[in-house]
Amino acid sequence: MLELLKNLLSWLTSPAQWSGPEGIAARILEHLEYSLLATLAAAVIALPVGLLIGHTGRGAFLAVNLSSFGRALPTVGLVTLVFLAGGLSVWPVYVSLVALAVPVIITNTYAGMAAVDPEVKDAAKGVGLRGRQVLWQVELPLALPLIMTGVRLATVQVVATATIAAYVSFGGLGRYVFDGLAQRDLVQVLGGAALVAVLAVVADLALGGLTRLLFRGRPATAR
Amino acid sequence: MTLEWGWFPDHADEMARLTADHLATAVPAVVLGLLIALPLAVLAHRVRPLRGVILGASNILYTIPSLAFFVLLLPVTGLTRTTAIVGLTAYTLVVLVRNTVEGLDAVPAKVREASRAMGTRPLRTLLTVELPLALPVIMAGVRVATVMSISLVSVASYIGYGGLGQLFTDGFQRNFPTPVVAGVALTLLLALVADALLVTVQWLCTPWRRGTSRQRTFMRRKAA
Amino acid sequence: MNRRTVLTTLLAGASAPLLAACSSGITSLKGDGAGGDSGSSSGGLVIGTANFTENQILGYLYAGVLNAAGVKATVKPNLGSREIVVPALRSGDIDLLPEYQGSLLLYLDKKATETEAGAMQNALATALPDGLEVLPYAAAEDRDSFAVTRATADRYGLKTLADLRKVNGKLVFGAAAEMKKRVVGLVGLKDAYGVEFKEFKALDSSGPLVKGALKKGDIDVGNVFTTDVDTAENGWVLLADPEHLIPAQHIVPLIAARKADSKVRKALARLGNTLTTAHLTELNRLVDKEKQDPDRVADAWLKKHPAR
Repeated sequence: MLELLKNLLSWLTSPAQWSGPEGIAARILEHLEYSLLATLAAAVIALPVGLLIGHTGRGAFLAVNLSSFGRALPTVGLVTLVFLAGGLSVWPVYVSLVALAVPVIITNTYAGMAAVDPEVKDAAKGVGLRGRQVLWQVELPLALPLIMTGVRLATVQVVATATIAAYVSFGGLGRYVFDGLAQRDLVQVLGGAALVAVLAVVADLALGGLTRLLFRGRPATAR
Repeated sequence: MTLEWGWFPDHADEMARLTADHLATAVPAVVLGLLIALPLAVLAHRVRPLRGVILGASNILYTIPSLAFFVLLLPVTGLTRTTAIVGLTAYTLVVLVRNTVEGLDAVPAKVREASRAMGTRPLRTLLTVELPLALPVIMAGVRVATVMSISLVSVASYIGYGGLGQLFTDGFQRNFPTPVVAGVALTLLLALVADALLVTVQWLCTPWRRGTSRQRTFMRRKAA
Repeated sequence: MNRRTVLTTLLAGASAPLLAACSSGITSLKGDGAGGDSGSSSGGLVIGTANFTENQILGYLYAGVLNAAGVKATVKPNLGSREIVVPALRSGDIDLLPEYQGSLLLYLDKKATETEAGAMQNALATALPDGLEVLPYAAAEDRDSFAVTRATADRYGLKTLADLRKVNGKLVFGAAAEMKKRVVGLVGLKDAYGVEFKEFKALDSSGPLVKGALKKGDIDVGNVFTTDVDTAENGWVLLADPEHLIPAQHIVPLIAARKADSKVRKALARLGNTLTTAHLTELNRLVDKEKQDPDRVADAWLKKHPAR
């Protein structure tokens, strides 16, 4: 055990390991590329949907249960399916990661919107604001903390799952897990896993800090 | 991508066997997770300094790629179903600890104090007052953990114990989408049925919660 | 309804499914894997297979002849690469594995130089750890080979592996990740032929990734098995191996010695005598191209070729 940890430490700290197109630095960048692009794409799809459902109230059942569906979708299956349909390309990776992130963002966006006190909405209407103005000027700002939570949760999940890119021959930190598995090189597997965990935690803390920074001094909205 | 529709009735036996196999890995993971999570959560809830450690450690555990976890367990538990179950338990554990702590947090301190004031010992208070009141949130956690467990089992196909996930590797190796579609559909169905079952169990076990619409909306949002 | 009633209902309601789940979990934890520590195969045999379809076909063929001979054999398909499955055999999680002489020998002894089937069989017997045994090898053989597309072969004039030296540093090589470290892989190609590639892409060996990449042009040289029908279908050129880097690869049963009683030996020997490379190639075609199941294909073949 101690031997393994010692080897892991030397693997993580050797400069040779970090440099080059297959080095740790390159893999981290690839991993971030997949994760950030996928989360961004998911947000672009999910935010409007969540806002619409939250604003109109229609489709609430969908929003609440979509996260269950998204959680149940086996990523490996989806990656395989897209691979078989489209051949060797990066699509399987992005489709699965986006499919993972969209439900989380929709559900949390809806939750944020639904938590807005109806009296505030009424007051806004009473002041003369029309539907869309209520959405942008009242609901969205109030729902933002929960929306940010959704984006944060989605990002962490995507970062942790982007290892799947290596399953269909691409890079990222998953490369260490799959190659280490194939070569029975536990140090590589452990290294890859540790790096993914660290990356996910860093992403989580970074977005958490960002949220706190953006909403400093705000009264906490409904849970 | 065309589907071979004749494949489905032809492989009904295999699909049933793989589904049973799938459950035999997913269910023990949730049960074990719950058994470990409950005491851990109580500790995190009661003992201030441990709370940060336990919740922090579980957050980190959650981010470890599941495949890596299985592979790292291989030398310890061998190429057996146990490896898959233990690996999955780590993930269900994280969800269940989080939700149980949250559930216990939601119990108003006054209720606990009232119970203690009546002379009830802490353990009895926990079992007869706090846990039942925390039950909705805990059950929400069990639901999430179950669905997640059912989905994650397929990752264990990489070490040969993926239940319905075996259909994915099979289809992948042979360039054959039909079993993959079957696997995805059945996994989703399984998760849906499990979720519905747990909702029913929760509803049956918490009669006092079949309350006003406001309470129900709150609980529904908690579960999402 | 007071709290006591609620708690009792709760316990009653939860305990039944919990107990059921627990018991099924416990039995599946116990009753899985190797069939006990009996000194013979009377407790049954667990056949493990690696993560490619041919190995699964072989596993089911083994199971077929063993069951016909009265030995209860079950197959655990698709367990992973050799690096995962052989240790499982050593630890007793599985009892029998269809293996390939050359690759197995090099896995056990990186410095082995034998390339001829008979010599390898002896070398294997020595190289294997205690408790494991190889039974006589089959007529059928499935070698690793390195394939290029017809176009690539014509463009660079590639006929043998030595020709790859002409384009050192220009081509991309694709194979399973473990091939990076194997002698019958990057390491050997460099040592025996002085071949170096521009890039190594970790895909799979003779699987959908490497074949797809070869077709698409993402890689120039791919690791393909000789019994793979895609080679003929796509007109790929398998580069010749004058230095005998790639050893003979007859199918050989790797078994836990304690399970290898006379019934097992006889059954597997009969299979080995009957199964030819042509048969294996055809079986692969049925599974990969016709999308038939490995177990059914194996059963059908055994019915047509009853073991002598």
